[in-house]
Amino acid sequence: MGWMRYFRRARWDEERELEIQAYLEIETDENIARGMTPEEARYAARRKLGNPTQIREEIYRMNSLTFIESLWQDVRCGLRMLRKNAGFAMVAVLTLALGIGANTAIFSVIHAVLLSPLPYDHPDRITLVRESNPSKGFEQFSVSPPNYMDWKNAAGAFEQMASMSRGQFSYTGGAEPERLVGARVAASFFSVLGAQPELGRTFLPEDDVVGKAGVVVLSHGLWTQHFGSDPQVIGKSLTLDGESYRVIGVMRNGFQFPRGVQLWLPSEFDERSLSPRARGAHYLTVIARLKPGASIDQAQAEMVAISKRLEQLYPNTNTGWTSKVVALSEATVGNIRPTLLVLFGAVGFLLLIACANVANLLLARATARQREIAIRFSLGASRLRIARQLLTESILLSGIACALGLLLAEWAMRALRTLPPSTLPRAESIGLDLPVLGFAAGVAVLTALLFGFAPALQITRGAPSETLKEGGRTASAGRHGVRSALVVLETTLALVLLVGSGLLFKSFVRLQTVDPGFESKNILTANISLPKSKYSTDAQTIQFFGQVLERMQAVPDVKEAAVASGNPMDGSNLSFVFATKQLQALAPADQPSAGYYVVSPNYFHTLGIPLLVGRYFTQGDFAGSPRVAIISQAVAQRFFHDRSPIGQTIKIGVGAGDPPWREIVGVVGDVKDDGLGEAATMTVYEPCTQQVWSSMSLFLRSDSDPSHLASVLRSQVMSVDKDQPVAEIATGEQMMSQAVAQPQLRTLLLSLFAGLALVLASLGIYGVMSNMVAQRTHEIGVRMALGAGQRSVLRLVLSNGMRLTLLGIALGTAGAFALTRLMKSFLFHVTPTDPATFLEVALFLFAVALLASYIPARRATRVDPVVALRYE
Amino acid sequence: MPKRGAPPLQADLLQGTLDLLILQTLVLGAAHGHTIAYVIEHRSDAVLQVEHGSLYPALHRLEDRGWIASFWGTSENNRKARYYRLTRSGRQQLAQQTSRWEQLVGAINRVLRPAKE
Repeated sequence: MGWMRYFRRARWDEERELEIQAYLEIETDENIARGMTPEEARYAARRKLGNPTQIREEIYRMNSLTFIESLWQDVRCGLRMLRKNAGFAMVAVLTLALGIGANTAIFSVIHAVLLSPLPYDHPDRITLVRESNPSKGFEQFSVSPPNYMDWKNAAGAFEQMASMSRGQFSYTGGAEPERLVGARVAASFFSVLGAQPELGRTFLPEDDVVGKAGVVVLSHGLWTQHFGSDPQVIGKSLTLDGESYRVIGVMRNGFQFPRGVQLWLPSEFDERSLSPRARGAHYLTVIARLKPGASIDQAQAEMVAISKRLEQLYPNTNTGWTSKVVALSEATVGNIRPTLLVLFGAVGFLLLIACANVANLLLARATARQREIAIRFSLGASRLRIARQLLTESILLSGIACALGLLLAEWAMRALRTLPPSTLPRAESIGLDLPVLGFAAGVAVLTALLFGFAPALQITRGAPSETLKEGGRTASAGRHGVRSALVVLETTLALVLLVGSGLLFKSFVRLQTVDPGFESKNILTANISLPKSKYSTDAQTIQFFGQVLERMQAVPDVKEAAVASGNPMDGSNLSFVFATKQLQALAPADQPSAGYYVVSPNYFHTLGIPLLVGRYFTQGDFAGSPRVAIISQAVAQRFFHDRSPIGQTIKIGVGAGDPPWREIVGVVGDVKDDGLGEAATMTVYEPCTQQVWSSMSLFLRSDSDPSHLASVLRSQVMSVDKDQPVAEIATGEQMMSQAVAQPQLRTLLLSLFAGLALVLASLGIYGVMSNMVAQRTHEIGVRMALGAGQRSVLRLVLSNGMRLTLLGIALGTAGAFALTRLMKSFLFHVTPTDPATFLEVALFLFAVALLASYIPARRATRVDPVVALRYE
Repeated sequence: MPKRGAPPLQADLLQGTLDLLILQTLVLGAAHGHTIAYVIEHRSDAVLQVEHGSLYPALHRLEDRGWIASFWGTSENNRKARYYRLTRSGRQQLAQQTSRWEQLVGAINRVLRPAKE
């Protein structure tokens, strides 16, 4: 019969009633037979049976699923309670929703970015193998092709190894020329990642031969955009950089490695890129799949041994170079992890504060409910039953808050998803998926237990008779202790968060005031890469850029125009070993390296990089004239501190053969190329007429917002070469904001959380102080009747509030002192224990707390002694 | 809310025993609640007083377990009454419980009155 009886109990109950009725009749009959009067007989029968209702109730209960039944009762009762106290419920739900929402949002980021495996086959076995030269300060560096070849042949811990290098290709075939991002990859590239094509095939070793007709694999996105998802695309051809490539495969949707890539081509190393000298040309990214069972440590040990051997074989190029194996996941998200963990800690604190606040609210309400509870006790409810009722209310609260929090979180995720990968890698996969929902539900339950436990414990302790006697008016001292402790806890946590965000904020402000060394206002930048096939000679390239600059300079809104081989501060600029006459005695491996730019004469002027000594490049520095260079102040200070660098010579190395000596003609100001937080980068500039570069950044300076120049630039470039795309158009502001995007994100988020924490904590202080004033109205009335002035009443209340605040501040300072060191790597020109920040934050919090207790204190001074005394 | 579970007083002692007595009473034939209580009281020479407050829940429990079945009938003095009869599994249960009871009584007796040598 089991639980089905639950549904039959009404009918059963009727039957029982009839049965008991029958019993009574039979007994009455017998009693009459024994000689009683009918009335006596009925009465005796009833007495013998006992309470029929109780019997029925007992049977009824036997038929109930008691637990669920009474739970439902609790839920209904809880909902009624919340509806009756709508104000309380709203404040509590909002507070908790903030806490749960913030936690869910940050967890969704952590889940998507740090916890979920990369979307490849057995991603835990995929590693990145890098070169490393600690003595030069390169912890992880790109790999040179000859070294990669030697690694590939020697390494035994890996199943497969593949190289890859990004490249850009002009695609002509659509309406306008367009630049596509591609990667040149080894044939084993796709199998290292375990990626299968959607159509056709990936590369075979025989595709990777120089001079053979080119083949290309398309990304799903490119196939959709440019080929209308044509299933017959295999075998069709595609013109890249003026050369024809045959499509052999299309990758599946979602496969994007390296990030943002639209097509893949075979690596095609030519003889030159594998020559002994090319060991110093580091530009490859190498990925490798570990053999099953092999660990990263084993692979690391093996790679170090291989590098050591290469170091001995090729001392000129390989001295100081070793290698480093890192998990691909680590390489993808490693640098964002500390930020996310700090933010996760911060939202954890925020949630604790929210819990403390709601617990406080519940405790305040508990006073009001004590009578109700006491009556229920007296009517025979068990402690457990009442505690369960209270916890059910808590869970209801947090359940509603959780739903609201999920809305908040979804809204936050929408914003986070739009962040570029350089700010937040893998941001596109952030979402409200099952684990995140599970986390939110878990947090909600935990929260309910956390904030509901103390009040439930408190309220069910103590004899009900006492409460009824007290009339539920006077709070017991013990409860006040708990509430005070909660306020101290909130203040402590809020202070820690405020100090953390204060430090970040200060760093951020200082970072923003750093002079990057150039003027980014009203600058428009774009990149133009000329295909080698079409622009095979230096003269063609020089002529192209010369014409574009000439045309742009003729546009009325363009004040200055220049080209350079890189964008300042974009973090991926070239750096080469250089030598002076003094330094050339050093072994090649010990020679210093510097950032390297090839620029047009007007570059410094356009970007506002000041000339310190000597001259800028001029039109007189052309291809055939004596070779010249300009150095940055950092180079001058380090290597020419004792004499003028003008007229000295320097050589910096690219190109076949030994780079030529160049005469230094000028010294310019430093540019913070490695990031605003870093030391000035040593940089060497060469004129673009003497060292020709086919991929150049274009800079235009205008008097006002330069965004509208983009279309002008495009049409001017097309009028010079109709097949030439223009890419990466950005304003100077965008360039700069990219450089501070990550610090900005963490500062913004942590400040937001700290701000919320401050609001909640001050609400908490306010609530406790108001409650205290309300409960001590009688006492305050007596004091005033006995002659206490308003000032002393004010002082009484304020001192109470301030004692709690000061205790919180003291504990918080200690906590912050211990915790802020975790943020050390985020700080710029601020120490983790910056006394000024600690002091400012403490004063600020104190002032806010003072205000929060002043309002109830004012109310206390307005107590009318007569009313207060009559009230009791 | 009152505590649920154990019925009051000697019913605690009789929790299992009352079930056994009811089953035994019904061996003789179907009976209604009043008769069952009467029979138990009389056959125990009024030593065992059946609390009606626990009789009906016990009947309900036994019926729920399928050991007895009930039907409406007419009593000796022409009143409508609910009759209970033993089912097949109730009969098995009675046999089992009786032997267990006898074991228990035997064991208790051996403790209370050790065999004299």
